[in-house]
Amino acid sequence: MYYLGLARGYRALDLARWLLTATAAAVVAAFLLRTLGRALHGTGGDLERLLWCLPPLAAVAWFAAVTARAVPAQHPERITGLTAAGAGPTRIRLLVAGEIALACALGSAFTLLLFLILRNDIAGPALAPDIGMGVPLPAVAPVALLAVLPLVAGVSAACAIRLPERLPGRPAEPAVRRYGALRLLLPAPVLLAGLGLELYGLRPDATDAERTLALPGGLPATSPALLIGWGLTALALALWTGPLLALAGRLLALRSPAPLRLLAGRGLTAQARRLGAPLAVLTTVVALMLVAWRHWARTGTDVPALTLVEGTLVLACALAALAARLHELRADRRPALDALDRLGTPPGLLTGTAALRALAAGTVLLLTGGLTVLLCPLL
Amino acid sequence: MSAAPPDNDVLWARGIVKSHHGTPALRGVSLGVREGEMLAVTGPRGSGKSTLLGCLSAQLPVDEGEVWFHSAPVHTLGRAGREKLRRERFGYVGPEPHLVPELTARENVALPLLLAGAGHRAAHRAAGEWLERLDVADCAKLRPADLQQDRRQRIAVARALAAEPPVVFADDPTAPLHRDAREQVLRILASAARSHGLTLVLATHDPALARFADRTVHLVDGRIAPEPAAAVAAAGN
Repeated sequence: MYYLGLARGYRALDLARWLLTATAAAVVAAFLLRTLGRALHGTGGDLERLLWCLPPLAAVAWFAAVTARAVPAQHPERITGLTAAGAGPTRIRLLVAGEIALACALGSAFTLLLFLILRNDIAGPALAPDIGMGVPLPAVAPVALLAVLPLVAGVSAACAIRLPERLPGRPAEPAVRRYGALRLLLPAPVLLAGLGLELYGLRPDATDAERTLALPGGLPATSPALLIGWGLTALALALWTGPLLALAGRLLALRSPAPLRLLAGRGLTAQARRLGAPLAVLTTVVALMLVAWRHWARTGTDVPALTLVEGTLVLACALAALAARLHELRADRRPALDALDRLGTPPGLLTGTAALRALAAGTVLLLTGGLTVLLCPLL
Repeated sequence: MSAAPPDNDVLWARGIVKSHHGTPALRGVSLGVREGEMLAVTGPRGSGKSTLLGCLSAQLPVDEGEVWFHSAPVHTLGRAGREKLRRERFGYVGPEPHLVPELTARENVALPLLLAGAGHRAAHRAAGEWLERLDVADCAKLRPADLQQDRRQRIAVARALAAEPPVVFADDPTAPLHRDAREQVLRILASAARSHGLTLVLATHDPALARFADRTVHLVDGRIAPEPAAAVAAAGN
């Protein structure tokens, strides 16, 4: 009943978020059911196919976590209302997570329905192995596979949401938290280890026999050293995205800045912590896609349809997570923007500030993303 | 078209009507504020003090009525015109400090000066002086989240005064302060207004603070009560 009431009050943005969650869940469920169908059919390579379902599952979980985290800032009235109705932090957490899990459950149920209808002798022979046609379906298998999605999304949402103890309707003074020394230095050894592994994998006497890892999506085989090396390099660059954004903000506000540079720079530094993660995820995803694209373009391979669907899903989730975080930050900044408006700050200055901040952030992302692509020795 | 307001009034309002989404807040308020005076607007919660200050300080457009600043109409100004007026002529302190969280205390105080086009060095020097006057010079390099609420409010007062605007609006500026700090901050506000010849419009529900003012206007349910002096005297006793 609560979710029905919520859904009646949905604005366009909430509806879009809900629909994206359900659609993403439906697509991941399709991947999982295809794995099940293939397993029933007995074509082999089941584990590999199941592992291939992990990136989209992780993308859905990431999106669920970021949207759940944004709820208290975006809908303070909902949290206030629930608190007034006697709901404690645990129950609010469960209710927010339940909303996302429900969207996932409905999306997966839709796919399951389609799967069952197709199995009913409707699908042609081309699709038969994918849905395990002709093999009896153990009832527990699809249910178990589909329960995974709401569970994963719900748990990641419940863990991500933050409910500090304070009176409802009284936001705390937003603190500007800095990066600790450990957080700044940690990526350096990771990057060095990654580069070392890559160099080892690329050493002159390395043979093709070392390339034991078969990559999906028409990509060439690679060696574990190269793959792990590049993974570590990408991780280190992603970890440095936030600190680099903070640094860019500091540089912007250097040397007696005018209000435009001052507000843009300090704002970027203050938001670097919370913007860093979704931007790093998006940059890594885009870098990965560029690498794959470069290979496909060079070898003239047709892009496999399933890889394309999966890539689109992951990219959509990363973009939507960034949009949700930006929306959350904007909602959090409302009091500060009101204060600036009260001082008579012209809107043009605020627009310019946002543009300058986006430009600086874009430069940082171009740097980290570009390095991630350049340091990829896979292809 | 009505006649222009009297020359000696820096602010002059006639028959202001303002409602918030259908809830009436002001139902026809007329008053004049003379140059250099300190006017207190008193009244209980919900009597329309904040809305009146909002209308006078060009933050809210009026539904009906007129507001004049130095013989220039404010009620006919568009958004950009009102922003320019706020930036160059008015200072404002609210019941909450509402500082920009990512700026240090000194930068917060220097911001109105920078927005008005002052140089970086001059703005920061003036900001430092005002922080010193309000007893918070030691917080110059700290950010609002690292400070106690009463210090933030002092910084907000410094921000309103830093550009030395002709008119300063203070809407219950002592709300977040403890009793001993209230008088001190208000005394600083009043003495700064007098020494710099600023006009101060102060909204408060505390009659003890209203006695700092030269004149008091009492608001009840969005209208000016007929005998403000009597009302204040009664509340004071």
